[in-house]
Amino acid sequence: MSSRLLNPYEHRGSAIHRLPAPAKMAFVGVMVCTVVLVPLGAGMIYAGCAAALVVVAALSSVPARHLAWRLLMLEPFVLGVAALSLLQPEGGRVFAAMLVRSTLCLFAMVLLASTTRFTDLLAALWRLRVPALLVTSLALMYRYLSLLVDETGRLQRARRSRTFEEGRAFAWRSSATVAAHLFVRTSERAERIYDAMCARGWRT
Amino acid sequence: MHIPDGFLDGKTAVAAGALAAAGLGIALWRLRRTFPPRRVPLIGLAAAFVFAAQMLNFPVAGGTSGHLIGAVLTAVLLGPSAAVVVLSSVLILQCFLFADGGLSALGANVFNMALVAPMVGFGVYAFVRRVAGGGLRARLLATGFGAWCSTVAASVACAGELAASGTVLWRVAFPAMAAVHMVIGVGEAAITTLVVAAVAGVRPELVLEAPLAARAPRYASVAAYGLLVALGLVLFVVPVASGWPDGLERVAATLGFEAKAAAPVASAPLAGYVVPGLGRAVPSMMLAGALGAVVAFALAWLLAWVLTSRRPAGGRTRALETTVAA
Amino acid sequence: MRGPAVEVRGLTYRYADGTDALRDVSFSVAPGERVAVVGPNGAGKSTLLLHLNGLLPENVLPIPAVHVFGTPVAPPHLPAIRAQVGLLFQDPDDQLFCPTVWEDVAFGPQQLGVRGAALEGRVARSLEQVGLGGYADRLPQHLSRGEKRRVCLAGVLACEARVLALDEPTSDLDPRGRRELKAILRSLPVAQVIATHDLELVVETCARVIVLDGGVIVVEGPPAEVFADEPRMLQHGLETPHILRHRHPH
Repeated sequence: MSSRLLNPYEHRGSAIHRLPAPAKMAFVGVMVCTVVLVPLGAGMIYAGCAAALVVVAALSSVPARHLAWRLLMLEPFVLGVAALSLLQPEGGRVFAAMLVRSTLCLFAMVLLASTTRFTDLLAALWRLRVPALLVTSLALMYRYLSLLVDETGRLQRARRSRTFEEGRAFAWRSSATVAAHLFVRTSERAERIYDAMCARGWRT
Repeated sequence: MHIPDGFLDGKTAVAAGALAAAGLGIALWRLRRTFPPRRVPLIGLAAAFVFAAQMLNFPVAGGTSGHLIGAVLTAVLLGPSAAVVVLSSVLILQCFLFADGGLSALGANVFNMALVAPMVGFGVYAFVRRVAGGGLRARLLATGFGAWCSTVAASVACAGELAASGTVLWRVAFPAMAAVHMVIGVGEAAITTLVVAAVAGVRPELVLEAPLAARAPRYASVAAYGLLVALGLVLFVVPVASGWPDGLERVAATLGFEAKAAAPVASAPLAGYVVPGLGRAVPSMMLAGALGAVVAFALAWLLAWVLTSRRPAGGRTRALETTVAA
Repeated sequence: MRGPAVEVRGLTYRYADGTDALRDVSFSVAPGERVAVVGPNGAGKSTLLLHLNGLLPENVLPIPAVHVFGTPVAPPHLPAIRAQVGLLFQDPDDQLFCPTVWEDVAFGPQQLGVRGAALEGRVARSLEQVGLGGYADRLPQHLSRGEKRRVCLAGVLACEARVLALDEPTSDLDPRGRRELKAILRSLPVAQVIATHDLELVVETCARVIVLDGGVIVVEGPPAEVFADEPRMLQHGLETPHILRHRHPH
């Protein structure tokens, strides 16, 4: 259930899905750099990038509705920050440019997330010589994310089923206690994982 | 506070990225040397914990609710270097998986929320704790005020980056971001303090002992982190805040708007947007900031007092429920 | 004449707070033999297993109390011991810590220095052995409890362990998961020490059972004999399993 929500990747056999992760990361990197570094008013370049992204999206066979929905969820934040830019000389053009640029980049990132497994991204980072401690932490985080989210839900439900109070103050204390218990459990689980790693020969 | 793509220009994104990489590098280096091996998996798991905890609701009014950011919480429970790596991991995941925070802005977001926030917050925490004593109440006060400071500091850095990029005017960005985050910071302070107090109720040793780093931080690494934060301030905040509005407007004007008359850019647009009495705006902003800090400190003190005042003598705090749920 | 796979002599262990977890425990397991350890909660079953691959130090005798294929379970030999003794934890989520199934099964052999084609071979064979042939690219969070258990099992088999120590392998498995695991355990030729509450599993798979209570071995022998003594079973928080009273198709 929650793992579907946390995992935007959907396995499909498209050509884009089958591309190696580093290639896709490079494409997105180039796209983002281009969009960010060109002058604000470079309409033709924006149009070109948009066309390229639409082609990739079509090839990827990710449903358009899914992409649109994800984009729509992220737009409010963009709008909020962009709104601040209105309060300056020629703010309207800056605002429009910001909107176009962020939307293009959002589109690229959403495509990347939908067509590439996070574990492949991690493997690419590993090959790029990113420090082991960081990659391991990212891997463990990804592995246990849905587990902890589920555990949070269970702790919340258990708490709610035993309480008869209402009100904000109670809700705050309740959430704080859930977070505390979650941390303690996480801490204990981390020690067991360390034992499991040692049991299979991991040496620090 | 996640900055999307397209809001930062090239130089700001690169500068922030360099600072973020340096800070992350220092944190990783310190962890490899001082973090007990038994606790290493906890870094990754704590990142998952922060992510899950950020989903908890802290209802405010109507349908809105506050959420945990988690910089100071992580720093208090795991130590500042671990907090840097934990928060960076969360930001990286959010960027790649959920497009929350732009790829070009990842450096800036890491700098703001994974470096400035925990470092400033933990610095305040350590200072207040040293001054106020080592008991639980002092630690809760230090936690609350530290969390507030971390939120405000991160927002100031964010405003600075936006202004340095010419996206938003400093005189708009700074008051907007700072004011909003002074309020959000109160929520963060309250949530962080409540969670730390709850952890102290279940496992006092996790809070009352020193953070999990095996050795006390050496002067060199404290200096290194402080240097990074100061460098960021110098790069992003000082130039914009110190009254180069003319230069900034000129840059913004030339960036996107061709065929603008060669009229003096400095005066005409400014006239429409300037806050009356610009000369007095900066000190008054500083006064407002100082006032906000005093209020936040007082609130943090009050919360710490409330949470610890119902403690039975010598026993565990029962201000919060301590029975294990499920 | 080969010696025992596992030999435990006079194992005593005390927790940090002073309570005895194990007192003078002695038994041995022959190569390829399946031995069960049963007892009420808190009897020390899990603690015993943790001694078999050196995760817990015994803190009394100068001579190591546990030997695996003749090698003492003590610091200079621990890496070799851990390759030979595959420990399966009670919660597979604690043990399945890599982001994909393939990486997790490959973890053990990688620590042993296996690379390349040899590594691929070991992972593939281990997954086949536990009936998860096509699962290499799957994510652990999408697997069922039984499948996770089997991946953990594949992970220790990939280390070419010669002894398996399993902590409650069938707890919280659904009936199908339990049947599948049981079949796999019976198909593996390695020595196995199984700590469990599942008395039916003991009868169906193990040649010998050890009853542990309060850290002490109270009785040892073939399951049919030991479990038939109902008064004694009840005394130690157990009971005679129904399988010994009625015929059961599985």
